[in-house]
Amino acid sequence: MLAVVRREYVQGVRNKGFIISTLLAPAVMGVLFLLPALLVTMRTGGATRLAVLDLTGRLAAPLAEALARGGEEEVRPPRGTRDEKFEARFAVERVEPGGRPPEEVRRELERRVAEGELDAYLVLPPEVLDGGPARLAARNTGDVFTLEAIRGALGRVVADERLRAAQIDGARVRELSRPVEVEQSRVTKHGEQPDESRGGGGFVFPFLVGAFVVVAIMMYGQVVLSAVVEEKTTRIVEVLFSSLRAFPLLLGKLVGVSLVGFTQFAIWALMFLALGLYGGGALALSGGAFTLPRVPAAALLLAPFFFLVGFYVYATLYAVVGSVVTSEKEATQVVMPVSFVPVIAIYLAFPVIRNPNSAFSFWVSLVPFFSPVTMLARVITEPPPAWQVALSLAVGAATVFGMVWVAARIYRTGMLMYGKRATLPEIWRWARRA
Amino acid sequence: MSDGRVTLLLDRVTKRFGDFTAVDALSLSARAGRIYGLLGPNGAGKTTTIRMIVGITEPDEGRVELFGRAVGPEAQNRIGYLPEERGLYRKMRVGEQLRFFGELKGMAAGDAERAARRWLERLRLGDRAASKTEALSKGMQQKIQFIATVLHDPDLLILDELFSGLDPVNVELMKEVVLELKAAGRTIIFSTHMMEHAEKLCDDICLINRSRKVLEGTLREVKRGFGAGAVALRAEGADGVLEDPSLVRAVKPAADFDEVLLADGADPQQLLRRLVERGARVSKFEQVEPSLRDIFIAKVGDEA
Repeated sequence: MLAVVRREYVQGVRNKGFIISTLLAPAVMGVLFLLPALLVTMRTGGATRLAVLDLTGRLAAPLAEALARGGEEEVRPPRGTRDEKFEARFAVERVEPGGRPPEEVRRELERRVAEGELDAYLVLPPEVLDGGPARLAARNTGDVFTLEAIRGALGRVVADERLRAAQIDGARVRELSRPVEVEQSRVTKHGEQPDESRGGGGFVFPFLVGAFVVVAIMMYGQVVLSAVVEEKTTRIVEVLFSSLRAFPLLLGKLVGVSLVGFTQFAIWALMFLALGLYGGGALALSGGAFTLPRVPAAALLLAPFFFLVGFYVYATLYAVVGSVVTSEKEATQVVMPVSFVPVIAIYLAFPVIRNPNSAFSFWVSLVPFFSPVTMLARVITEPPPAWQVALSLAVGAATVFGMVWVAARIYRTGMLMYGKRATLPEIWRWARRA
Repeated sequence: MSDGRVTLLLDRVTKRFGDFTAVDALSLSARAGRIYGLLGPNGAGKTTTIRMIVGITEPDEGRVELFGRAVGPEAQNRIGYLPEERGLYRKMRVGEQLRFFGELKGMAAGDAERAARRWLERLRLGDRAASKTEALSKGMQQKIQFIATVLHDPDLLILDELFSGLDPVNVELMKEVVLELKAAGRTIIFSTHMMEHAEKLCDDICLINRSRKVLEGTLREVKRGFGAGAVALRAEGADGVLEDPSLVRAVKPAADFDEVLLADGADPQQLLRRLVERGARVSKFEQVEPSLRDIFIAKVGDEA
């Protein structure tokens, strides 16, 4: 059996696919995370050229001023968030009707927008002050950041104007109605600690961990699947079975592949650590608001174990699938329903993160098919009692052994069946046969 | 060389798949230092029988004894099995592949590597240890698989269609190696449906057809038991004599003579006397043993 473990491991680690994915995955991840942020902040082209036709006669000047500030509120939220990156710059042109009928001026503006002389024009009819709509016409109505900036600026200018009409000082009102900041901290048995993740991260992070575990499980399940299919189609299995029972053979294969997985994670962890030490300081200096959510040490310690449970549960299923099909192509079809189950686990993570200690969360985090995601989510959000974690792992381990044992019987028969795919009743019979 | 020790014993072994009986109450025994031919047409039950011997499947009834004990994991390490359907890991290097198969059979890695090097040299593949398996020709892969079978120096060798896919030069090479192994006291089960190969190699044979044993014994016994055999005859004016059914079963024309198959109980001497009496001019009269091929066709052909 050790020979099987070693072969799977050495072949797995030396595989080109492994080397490429180990080196490339962090790069791809980085690009996937950074690229959208870069692209969204990147403004191609200059300032938005906006013409304002003010029929109230009172709004154009303050609006131009507000837009010149980038559409930002006067009272900024404390700790500049990334919103400021999206600010739109404007070149505002105030259009005076000069006695001409407004409709004629509007048509003129429309023509200029259409010809590209302007990007947009804004008509402020007198009713705006009494709650009527303003009209914005633009070539590109998809630039939500620009639209949002104009709407925000206009809203404040109109509100100010209305307040002034009622003889109330707008600046004073805004100052008095400033929003309240809520500082979050996390209470654990070891006392209180400030929560850097500020709510949003606390929700997203366990979900990301879950997604990572699921992706890893499916990736390595796929490795097991193709290895089994190879041995079946090339008939190597005849020689293997003439040397080794199905159970140690299957177990050896699973152990070998799981070690390959751990090697990859270890490499990634080291790369991440090195990058963190090197880049972390630089990042902090640049004042980036990129704070990593604090991961409880317990979660880091437990993650490998739950990965193991998940990997063995699913890889066993993949191995069974591999043993009953007749070709790689067929395997990808049959494996579809199996691949859906871990996705369900990710969906289950949502209610669990919202309510980590409910009865629902408890039961869901015991089921080995889901526990790698759900229990980890609980550990990260609101650590459950240790016995629950232990129970979940124990149930997982027991299930794994039971499954490998049953799977070995199916595997043994399935691997020697050539020519046709086994039916479910047949598989059931093989599993029951002593 | 043969000490007559029974290495492998099958006692009324039966294997069924659903309603189909693949092997029906088959008994046989193979002795050390001899080559035992397991013969039969495709689908006769040879592969199923072999799978029970090597412990891949278990018989529904009967018993398989190896080295005097029921088959089990410890016996498996003393068997080398070359399946008819060959298979190697395509992506592995030859040397690693052989080491893996050696380790599977309980060898230490170093021993397996040394044995692999020795065998690669012996089969003229000494420079291929570092090649990827998929880069080798089919014939080379066959030889690699043969090495994987004998690497751990098994006492019982099961070779299923050993020569398929090999060119004549390699067939001779493999024959040589098999005879060496026999001389070294190994028991060899040689399964094939190519009677020409079996005839040249086997000491004992067992012919199975439709899940049952049709005949068993040493090659000599089998041939003798098959009847007087045949006569290669070239004669003029033999008409009449060859048509006598009490004497002649069939006449098969060959290149420049006729192969006369004698009827059961007929004596070649009698045929010669009758020919002379008849006044035939006999230019060739040679008693020939029935070939295994003839026996095979006679025993299997009328049913198939």
